[in-house]
Amino acid sequence: MITRRLLLGATTALAMMTTGAIAQDKMYVPLISKGFQHQFWQAVKAGADKAAAEFNVEVTFEGPETEAQVDKQIEMLTTALSKKPAAIGFAALDSQAAIPLLRKAKEAGIPVVAFDSGVDSDIPVATAATSNVAAAALAANKMSEIIGGSGKVAVIAHDQTSRTGIDRTEGFVNEIKAKHPGIQIVAVEVGGGDHLKSAEITKTLLAANPDLKGLFATNEGGAIGMVQGVQEAKAKVTIIGYDSGKAQKDAIRSGLMAGAITQNPVGIGYETVKAAVAAAKGQSVAKDIDTGFFWYDSSNIDKPEIAAVLYD
Amino acid sequence: MTKLVEMAGIEKHFPGVHALKNVSFDIEAGEVHALMGENGAGKSTLMKILSGVYTKDAGSVRAFGEEVTFDGPRAAQDAGIGIIHQELSLMNDLTVAQNIFIGREPRGRFGTLNETKLNANAAELFAQLNIDILPTDRIEGMSVAKQQMIEIAKALSYRSRVLIMDEPTAALTNTEIRELFAMIEKLKSDGVGIVYISHRMDEIKQISDRITVMRDGEYVDTVPAEQTPINRIITMMVGRELEDAEVKIPDLADAEIALEVRGLTRGRMVQDVSFSVKKGEILGFAGLMGAGRTEVARAIFGADTPEAGEVIVHGRPVKIRNTRDAVLAGIGYLSEDRKHHGLALSMDVRANVGLASMDQVTNVIGRIDETKLAKTAVDYIDKLGIRTPSDQQEVGLLSGGNQQKVVIAKWLMRDCDILIFDEPTRGIDVGAKAEIYRLMNQLADEGKAIIVISSELPEVLRLSHRIAVMCEGQLTGILPGGVEQEAVMALATQRETTEDAA
Amino acid sequence: MSLTKLKPSGSTLQKALAFGSLIALVLIFSFLSENFRTLSNMINILQATSVIGVLAVSATIVIITGGIDLSVGTAMTFTAVTAGMLLTWLGLPIPLGVIGAILMGALTGLASGFFITKMRIPPFIATLGMMLVLKGLSLIFTGTKPIYFNDSPGFTEIASGSLVGLLVPAFPLPNGVLILFAVAAIVGWILNRTALGRYTYAVGSNEEATRLSGVNIDAWKMGIYALAGAVTGVAGILIASRLNSAQPALGQGYELEAIAAVVIGGTSLTGGRGTILGTIIGALIMSVLTNGLRILSVAPEWQIVATGFIIIGAVYADMLRKKT
Repeated sequence: MITRRLLLGATTALAMMTTGAIAQDKMYVPLISKGFQHQFWQAVKAGADKAAAEFNVEVTFEGPETEAQVDKQIEMLTTALSKKPAAIGFAALDSQAAIPLLRKAKEAGIPVVAFDSGVDSDIPVATAATSNVAAAALAANKMSEIIGGSGKVAVIAHDQTSRTGIDRTEGFVNEIKAKHPGIQIVAVEVGGGDHLKSAEITKTLLAANPDLKGLFATNEGGAIGMVQGVQEAKAKVTIIGYDSGKAQKDAIRSGLMAGAITQNPVGIGYETVKAAVAAAKGQSVAKDIDTGFFWYDSSNIDKPEIAAVLYD
Repeated sequence: MTKLVEMAGIEKHFPGVHALKNVSFDIEAGEVHALMGENGAGKSTLMKILSGVYTKDAGSVRAFGEEVTFDGPRAAQDAGIGIIHQELSLMNDLTVAQNIFIGREPRGRFGTLNETKLNANAAELFAQLNIDILPTDRIEGMSVAKQQMIEIAKALSYRSRVLIMDEPTAALTNTEIRELFAMIEKLKSDGVGIVYISHRMDEIKQISDRITVMRDGEYVDTVPAEQTPINRIITMMVGRELEDAEVKIPDLADAEIALEVRGLTRGRMVQDVSFSVKKGEILGFAGLMGAGRTEVARAIFGADTPEAGEVIVHGRPVKIRNTRDAVLAGIGYLSEDRKHHGLALSMDVRANVGLASMDQVTNVIGRIDETKLAKTAVDYIDKLGIRTPSDQQEVGLLSGGNQQKVVIAKWLMRDCDILIFDEPTRGIDVGAKAEIYRLMNQLADEGKAIIVISSELPEVLRLSHRIAVMCEGQLTGILPGGVEQEAVMALATQRETTEDAA
Repeated sequence: MSLTKLKPSGSTLQKALAFGSLIALVLIFSFLSENFRTLSNMINILQATSVIGVLAVSATIVIITGGIDLSVGTAMTFTAVTAGMLLTWLGLPIPLGVIGAILMGALTGLASGFFITKMRIPPFIATLGMMLVLKGLSLIFTGTKPIYFNDSPGFTEIASGSLVGLLVPAFPLPNGVLILFAVAAIVGWILNRTALGRYTYAVGSNEEATRLSGVNIDAWKMGIYALAGAVTGVAGILIASRLNSAQPALGQGYELEAIAAVVIGGTSLTGGRGTILGTIIGALIMSVLTNGLRILSVAPEWQIVATGFIIIGAVYADMLRKKT
């Protein structure tokens, strides 16, 4: 009895999942992202959905659970390719690992649009991304400006192997070294984007360096954890974050955070789909699509051009 | 005769236990030297030191004329001392030859295994020992006797000049025992010295040349086997005289029926079994291995669910779907396998005694009244004479007999008036056996209904007021107590069913 | 005190050993860095232990039965999400949200218990399945967005406020730490002084013997898993309160840290033996280690390597103790 009921339930669930299947005549563009749980990716998805509606194409959006799961992402890419899509959007966790598959896509005549970060290959017809190095350098300059050009600073990276993790960390560190000799970087820790871990790391950094003046987080989870850690330690430190999300926006409004770099995730999603559709139709597309980045703080957070690229 | 091994002044401590105290032992070429003593007397520990399993704390071991210290079983084997453990340790999925030469397989070129040579070596070994086993057979499904022969062959393949056998006949039939003894005789004539550990007095008398007795980790004496009467050996083992009791059958004509079973059926092993036990009665269950006695007990107790049949307790039919129902009906079951089914070995005596009766010592929210539980546990320790340093001793550290008493205490605390003893003295030594028997008689006197299942016919005969005999899942008859062994054996081997057996 | 007198293990030496390692670690780090040995850093360490410590207490209960619970991490997240739904979405008062989350935790434990006892699925598989189910449900219910507790201003006080600090301003011990100790004391008491606790050890020691003693194993085991689940619910409240939000993507990976703390604390994965006190010490050892290595600016990669070796070393020390 129980098993039959379970079976029935499973069948219904399966039916519900497949009702969203692809309509035959619409152009199909799958986007393989680096994740889906983070608010950032949800904003990218929103942009992609917007473009899908505008150009009347079918867009799917998926990504692995953590940015370390390169293998899962490759699997997703394989599955997507086997569905013979019109074009494909791909945000590589590890661009080297994906090259054989991308070659296959090229041979099958499926145009690939890279998004979020570049792929070290000439296969993608276009790349829609933020320049993370330039964005992190901007954060470094802002940090120097706020703390007065000297003092101890630490970084909490969300990852030590992914392109964005490396670019943002190095972009920040190199800019400080090159342009702000008065500032000393005392630590680069890895918080994995985990709020609680990032909070504990922040508190430890503060205990180890009571004279710490600034903290830079390379993603949203790290930034929120940082705010929590600084609050609990009752310290006064300049925090610069990355991306947006409700908690980060609140922290900036209340002055807990000095400011943050925002990318334009909605733009990334939108431009990716737009380029993919154009490429599938055989039209020419620009090789590099800079989707831009912005510095925002309490002074400009509510201005329309900034509010448009922020997400909750 | 030449002494192959001489051990002197051996000391061994385990946490909290002084296991061996100044023990001496020697083995001569071409003799069978029996090592006897109750469980926990230190026999196995002594032999594990000789075979390199344990290291000694003090004392000397001389083997084949040299002072030796074995740092592992392999070293002892290489020196020519082999041991056959009570629990057979062959790998079921490998062949006979693969088992014998495990770890020293003949190699071919490039380090590959040379299976042909392996099998040839094993065949040669079997020919020497007159064993009729194919080297390429798998162990799986072999009789215990055959496995034992293989273990002996394995030990001898190391060119052992001393062979230790720990309870080798525990699971053998009479024919198989005769074969084993023939082999022992052959080994003796080849000059091998054999240490023979057993509880079976008749065997010891039959096979051994000398007997050494140990008690409580101490050496008692070494006596010639032929001239020493059994009673004296037992006295040496237990340190006192044992009474030799005959079964006294009480008059139970007016006693109330405590448990009645009608038409109990479960698979092939329990077919339409019906019987009853009165208050104050001990009903024995006899039969050969695999006759279905344990299965009957488990079905009554709800450990396995019966397919058909009625269980009536004190005149009232009860529905037993699981062990909880049985316990609530006042039935307690003492499993044949204490270690796996009877006790939580890593817990203390107190916790084990209380395990079936937590509701008696807990309040509404489940808080345990430790004082009350401790008092009850101590009461049973006194009443049953459980030898333990305290009620907070880990049960796993007690001897077999005392563990069995802890299980009995568990059911007494539960106030069960129907007790099923399955192999109550398995692995328990002579002295403790008598105590368990006395305890069972005392319980019957107090009005408990007792079912006792045993593979040892003398035990059934000595205890039972009536004897139910089973064969191949059927109850072939119920005999009065005090009958001859032959009558029981006749029913135990009676294969066709009597229609009106019930 | 029920915490210190845990009979079924009888391994005072083991606890002394683990405690000794903890003290040794603290002394070594204190010697190497003056920033480590400050009161505020000690409080940091305790606070960093609170969530993982409560999770480890939950894991201990299950591991003593000889089982394993891989779902503690995502179950914690699921209970945090439950609190978020009750407080922020339904606007219920804080105590109801807390009780609701703990009940939800007990319910998830009960579900695992049901799969294990009634459907005879091994604990490893059943809780592996639950780990994924609960992770997925957290994401579905929240629409992958975090739920914030901004409308329940008192909520963050549960973990981050400090009752002790009100009384002794110089010692602002966060409430989360008090909750950890309270949970440990209560569970320690249950394990040692109640029938449920006795059966927890009994099942882990010898399940068949316990069943043949007429104990209704299935019911008790479900109760044990439900208790563990309720404790997980407390961890869910703690992390949600700490972060002022229920982060639906968090949690996976916490189960391994919790199990590591349990093992370092001397609880046997084969069941029957283990203590809550040991687990708390184990969790503290892990926190001291990560905190100390960070303060010494050891590279993050090496911190991971060191933690791995500590786990192996702790279990090896336990084995050595059992041999002699």
